[in-house]
Amino acid sequence: MAQTTNTHRVTFGDRNTNCGNTDNSVNTTIYNSDQDARIMRWLSPLEPDDRHNTVRTNRHEGVGDWLLELKEWKKWREGEGGADEAVFFCSGNPGVGKTHLR
Amino acid sequence: MIDRLRDEARDGGLAVAWLYCDYLGQQEQTVINVLGAILKGLVGRREIPKEIVAAFQEGRRPLLADLKGMLKTAIDSLPQVFICIDALDEYLPRELPVLLESLRGIVRESPMTRIFLTGRPPVREAIQRYFTRAIVIPVSPNQDDIRNYVEMKLDRDDEPEAMDDVLRADIVKTILAKMSDM
Repeated sequence: MAQTTNTHRVTFGDRNTNCGNTDNSVNTTIYNSDQDARIMRWLSPLEPDDRHNTVRTNRHEGVGDWLLELKEWKKWREGEGGADEAVFFCSGNPGVGKTHLR
Repeated sequence: MIDRLRDEARDGGLAVAWLYCDYLGQQEQTVINVLGAILKGLVGRREIPKEIVAAFQEGRRPLLADLKGMLKTAIDSLPQVFICIDALDEYLPRELPVLLESLRGIVRESPMTRIFLTGRPPVREAIQRYFTRAIVIPVSPNQDDIRNYVEMKLDRDDEPEAMDDVLRADIVKTILAKMSDM
């Protein structure tokens, strides 16, 4: 994908005033949030936040409390097992509520 | 879970990145895009690291190796990182081994990183090929969760005059019985 090149520039220093360096005005490019947004799209076209907001809206409070009480969760969460036990996998068939665990 | 971790993140400096896999979006869910999305989740809410800005300004698409390097830098700059991937069974099957291998690489380089995955039971085998000591928790519909949800929906019924205690009890009982078969 070709990158667009319409980088927004913010110019400091006024070319119309004589302040001692008229032939060399001070131009500083700072990157504003528009460039940040383009970097984010460049990193990935996937937008996980959008989906997450939908899930959050449809969720019922308190679902998944039991999970947090598991000793396996606590151990995993604290990172006691290091790299070997880095993965916590919730396994279940569609519709049992894995996505909506809160 | 993501929000729970995010609540903690606000308090304790950990960072959470997440992704929902979806059959419908499989073509977009390449490993590069997934790692890119995780990186977005880690850097998007703070100042973007110079390394990433510099790579962007080179004007080419990021390669897998670029993303792995950028991810490592981002992860190492944070106290602890949680990566959550939902519905891994809906992930593009031919890319799944590469994704799991990449996640294993991240964990080996940054052992405090935690990875939270969900998916149907068959995806377990693939996960355990890369993470032999993965913690596996079966999730089944929780009776209390369902009861609370159904009761809440019944309380909000548009036609409360059509409801009586017998019908109400019957609805709850029938739904719970159906759910326990899942």
